[in-house]
Amino acid sequence: MKPEALDLQARMDALRPGNASKHLDFFGKLLVDNREMTIWDHDTRLLPAGARIWRRRARDFARRYIRPDALRADSQPREYDPGPIVSQAARKGFQTLLLALPLGTAFPGSYFLKSASFQVAVVAEEFAVESGGIALLLMAHHLGCAPLLMSGHVPTILRHLLPLYARTLRGRPEIMAFAITEPGAGSDVEETEGGAEARLVTTARQVDGGFVINGRKCFISDGAIADKVTLFAKLQGEGLESWTCFLIEKGMEGYSIGRQEHKLGQRAADASELILDDVRVPQRNVVGRLRSGWANNRNVLNYSRPVVGAMALGHARGAFERALEFCRSTVLGGKRLIDYQDVQIELADMIVKLWSARALIWHSCSQFRCYQSASAAAKVAASDISFEVCTRAMEIMGDYGYLENHGAESLWRDSRLTQIYEGTNQINRLAVIEHQWAEISGRCGG
Amino acid sequence: MDLSLYAREGEQEFVELTRSFVRKSVQPMFGGDAPDGNLDMVPSILDTAFEVGLAASPCSGMPGFEYGIWGTSADNPTGVRISATLLWAVAEACAGIAMNLHVQGLASRVITSSKGGLPDPPARVAIALQEGHALPGYRTLLGKGGGPDEGIGTRALSAKTGWVITGSKSFVYGMEGPDAFLVFCRIAGNQGGEKLGCLLVPAGATGLEVRDVGGRTGIRACGLSHLVLNEVKVASEHHLSSRDAFPLMGQAVCLHWLGISAMAAGNASGALKAAREYAATRYQGGAMIGEHPAVRKLLALSEARVEAALALLLQTAGFACGNTDFLRRCAIAKLMTTDWAFSAVTDALQVFGGYGYMEDYGMEKRLRDAVVLKTAAGSRNYLETFISDAGREDIR
Repeated sequence: MKPEALDLQARMDALRPGNASKHLDFFGKLLVDNREMTIWDHDTRLLPAGARIWRRRARDFARRYIRPDALRADSQPREYDPGPIVSQAARKGFQTLLLALPLGTAFPGSYFLKSASFQVAVVAEEFAVESGGIALLLMAHHLGCAPLLMSGHVPTILRHLLPLYARTLRGRPEIMAFAITEPGAGSDVEETEGGAEARLVTTARQVDGGFVINGRKCFISDGAIADKVTLFAKLQGEGLESWTCFLIEKGMEGYSIGRQEHKLGQRAADASELILDDVRVPQRNVVGRLRSGWANNRNVLNYSRPVVGAMALGHARGAFERALEFCRSTVLGGKRLIDYQDVQIELADMIVKLWSARALIWHSCSQFRCYQSASAAAKVAASDISFEVCTRAMEIMGDYGYLENHGAESLWRDSRLTQIYEGTNQINRLAVIEHQWAEISGRCGG
Repeated sequence: MDLSLYAREGEQEFVELTRSFVRKSVQPMFGGDAPDGNLDMVPSILDTAFEVGLAASPCSGMPGFEYGIWGTSADNPTGVRISATLLWAVAEACAGIAMNLHVQGLASRVITSSKGGLPDPPARVAIALQEGHALPGYRTLLGKGGGPDEGIGTRALSAKTGWVITGSKSFVYGMEGPDAFLVFCRIAGNQGGEKLGCLLVPAGATGLEVRDVGGRTGIRACGLSHLVLNEVKVASEHHLSSRDAFPLMGQAVCLHWLGISAMAAGNASGALKAAREYAATRYQGGAMIGEHPAVRKLLALSEARVEAALALLLQTAGFACGNTDFLRRCAIAKLMTTDWAFSAVTDALQVFGGYGYMEDYGMEKRLRDAVVLKTAAGSRNYLETFISDAGREDIR
């Protein structure tokens, strides 16, 4: 190296924040944080102790158990046996996070100071970094459990949720699924205006000792493997306002699994049609009160949307990490890609987006009661960011980006679903406005 | 969007011929369950394309020699415009089939436009433009610099009866089982320096290894492989031009980007048509979904982007003249049209809601194809640098 170049290098080193800050006074130095620390470590330190523990556990679990299965589960979903990963996740406490210790496995501090969703969202991001399909396979279980809790109906919780969690904690996990979507009503059942005019077919008829349910549900995540399903049906002769949640159990006469969809991504988790042909459901399997289903459903979405946002964020982070690895190991014109400033700008853009999505997700479930506008906003922002970051990750890898063995493309496929399920992002935007209508319309203001 | 509206006098019959080919040969691919259509039908579809003259060939006796996609008629802006329009029309149905026709045409165009051509050219040829993860940079393509790391490290050494090539090429799109590959490589010049050569390597040449790239996201109807050339001997008559081949390669890169732009926009146009039809038949929330403002917004933006892509594509084709400015314009067209087309497809898919994500309606395939077209043969970072370098070179 030429002496003048060496001199320039030495001057640049001296100007770097870590060295420059040595010239500050003692208190000035105290206010500077120049530690070499990953964003993951920085963010983890922000969390309350319980959530911090779950974040570390989830990352370890994802790397140890999900990563080895990811490619196979995506390429051969029909041959993939979800049993072992579900059992392993249950054994580690990941399937009982909707209740705090000692009834579940969530830490009480994060559970009551944040929300019931918070620790689930923290875990969801870590799982989704490795595989969207396996993350959905494990997370859809919480969605299936949520109506039992959100009903607020103590007999339901005592009768169904607590025994389910107790069995899971004793090593006999059961998989739950959540069924609202029907062939003729997808977005309709996720917003008010659509709901009022929805064409629903799944109907419950009251009989002695319970109900008889007929109809169909579609696109149900984990539908084919679920032991139990929280399923919503209108009461005979009434509309959506009569929606009631029922607990359907595998093996009930007349209950069967229909078509399983072939999806672009998130393939490890099935999306199945549920067929109900005169299924007799006992009274004890009514979740909450009669006609409380619509309110329950809407509130479940308030708690689940931040989790979907977190999954989207995980896909994007996974794609980013793979692109970063590519840029570290690929040399062009004698330099690694990460040493090019235009590549650095691109990577920085991705980091900014990931960080902003995480901030909004954590914000949306940071108080005891999740609320509609913040949850919907987090889901929209995170899923849009996710798809954009995944696309950019593929682009930065050039043609290698669309090869399956480089990892980014499967996460890109996974991420696209997060803009659609749990209400399309268009529906979620309307949910933001609906919840803030008093403010938007000028009825209340600061 | 009706492509006929954009066809000039004399172009209409080519558009109609292509539409007839698409209707009779390409669309039947998609009757079954396979997400990319019945790929076993691809060889017969391509045979038909040769028969009807849509697939170009470097053999002067073949129907597509002159008027096939990138046939010899593409030596002027009108011919380039027609080829791009036909690629669009094929890609409306299947971008993978269009890619086959495009790269076959590209190779044919290079062979027929090289000085002297070849005495007995093979019918099906694939063209290898890329090494590593990106195409050569702007200055390299102009023959003004750039080391082996910057794009062209494959070398041919002079031997008694021809050339011996050693190196590798990556991401070579082409019809399955081509007769030969066109390979650009550095060769020793007469005055001791190096220049660029273009050599035709027979598919069965000793030392040539064709490696499958493995699973990929989209454009699966077209073959894709990496080439490893380990002291591959090529006869001297298979050296396409005694002159420096940088202009040939530059021309190929231009048409490659223009072709990808046309396919991306055609694919998006097909997605938009499907979304419109779906929106007019699907009921949701008390009305057809096409009546909902959110869906109307998606469709409007999708349409605007497809129109913008078409406008830029046709404008760029109009500048086809083989100079370096065309290279810059084609890079801009590739950068913008593939981006607009990708956004148009993802918006169109969103109109379908959950059904868009499933294989049934073919929208997920369109999205997979769109992202490959956006990423392949020069993605955003590369093109931004390329356009910037071209601008700086102009100032110099």
